Amino acid sequence: MSDTPAIEFTSVSRWFGDTVALADVSFTAAGGVIGLLGHNGAGKSTTLKLCGGFSTPSSGAVRIFGVNPRREPDVYRRIGIVPDHSPPWPFLSAREVVELSARLHKVRDYRGAAAEAIATVDLEDAADRRVGEFSHGMRQRVKLAQALAHDPELLLLDEPLNGLDPAQRGHVIELLTRLGTEGRTVIVSSHVLHEVERMAPRVLVLVNGHLVAEGSTEAIRQLISERPRRVLVRPGGDPRALARALLEMTSVDAVRIDDGTVEIETSDPTALGVALPQAARKLDDVLASIQPVGDDLESVYAYLHQRARGQAR
Amino acid sequence: MIGPVVRLTLRALVLQKRTLLLAAVALLPVVMAFVYALAHPAGSNRHDFYSGLVQQLFVPTVASLVSLVFGVSAFGDEREDGTILYLVATPQPRIELAGAKILAAWLASMILLVPSLVISGLLGLGSEASASLIGWPLLGVATASLAYCAVAAWLSLYTRRPVVIGVLYILLWESSIATFAASAKKLSISAYGRAFVAHVLPQSSPAVTSTGVAAVVLAVVVSVALWATARGLSHRELP
Repeated sequence: MSDTPAIEFTSVSRWFGDTVALADVSFTAAGGVIGLLGHNGAGKSTTLKLCGGFSTPSSGAVRIFGVNPRREPDVYRRIGIVPDHSPPWPFLSAREVVELSARLHKVRDYRGAAAEAIATVDLEDAADRRVGEFSHGMRQRVKLAQALAHDPELLLLDEPLNGLDPAQRGHVIELLTRLGTEGRTVIVSSHVLHEVERMAPRVLVLVNGHLVAEGSTEAIRQLISERPRRVLVRPGGDPRALARALLEMTSVDAVRIDDGTVEIETSDPTALGVALPQAARKLDDVLASIQPVGDDLESVYAYLHQRARGQAR
Repeated sequence: MIGPVVRLTLRALVLQKRTLLLAAVALLPVVMAFVYALAHPAGSNRHDFYSGLVQQLFVPTVASLVSLVFGVSAFGDEREDGTILYLVATPQPRIELAGAKILAAWLASMILLVPSLVISGLLGLGSEASASLIGWPLLGVATASLAYCAVAAWLSLYTRRPVVIGVLYILLWESSIATFAASAKKLSISAYGRAFVAHVLPQSSPAVTSTGVAAVVLAVVVSVALWATARGLSHRELP
């Protein structure tokens, strides 16, 4: 393995007409598993397509092991790719797909390499069946096997856990973790943080084509958990009395009353979870409902986006 | 290493449903020759019938349509379903990938066109059939088909409607404009294919050029389309 980073993005933007798919993204990747996190349409697939040489940046530069793969296809000897929406040829057997991939990657003992890759993804029993007969999860494993067959230094995996059952997910996560600790660079895209954090010590978060956060998985998790949250509370009694009581608490940042509902903003939801029932008890109030707002993944990404824009300003 | 890609593409082309439709198109000249052989009107000239069949139906319509569809499918289907990524993400030289695809499309075309032309020739010419009367038209069909396949493969990487563009070229340009505008013939693949036929069969209109020049022109068309297709693989947006 050389010292040149496996991936080097320098101010990369990619747009299609008026749509910006990727905006001024820069990062390098050299060894280990890296999670590429973002909602659907965030730019994950575009990033992987650029890494894979299937697209050309509108501006900026993409270097894979120091070269542009579109101009120097020989670099594909060192790259294994699992595309998201492209199952392999349905009329070929799993073994044929993996052998073909190994052969085209110039592996001398392509049959042996294919057999090994098929064993790695635990697909020996179905290796001679046609891919067209496979379930989604099995196709994912064929895709993974064809990407591993030539023993690549860089793996680009677009949503590789999609369609896998929990046991298969565990197996693939274990495999990718091992590949990362061996010194290979493994880029795994996903829109689920807890899935990524099981294998990737480093995460890149994309929102609307912008790289909004980058760092260790723990740091990103911390950042997300520290974001301000909003909770809607409908008290049984006087909402103004509850609002007054809440404002005295350190875990509450702001309170607003709207149509009998108290909207609480907090940066410490755990403390609020303890304090809120205590305040209600003190007022001899019975809370009719407690509803968190913006706790979905989209809101998390929106927060990271806003935060990144704020920092940029 | 074009062998595995040729075999893969050939398998994909032969297995597709539209191959049945193309086989029906290729069967058309056989049916016409069969009907002619049964009827064979007194005083009719077998050479004239066969010449008309080859020059007005086989080369400009049957061979061109079959080659166009196979040429487009060689890359077009893989672009649509995304399997092209598994070929492009390999260290194979782009010119070899493009060459393998065009070769596979041409072989698939030949699987349908060669038996069709040979059987039509044998039925149409009857006892007058000879190796040269079938061989030269076959050469014309084979060279024109290769050129159509190469251009179709190139179109499939650069446009969203390669079949529509190809059919418009065949029907509007080659079968209409080029039939009455002599200079337009110079931009007609089928006209160069027919130049080989003119070597042994009577012509309804003068051939566009000699067989030697036709061979050179078609070789240039194939080379340029091959180069442009290979370039498309490293420049076009892939799925």
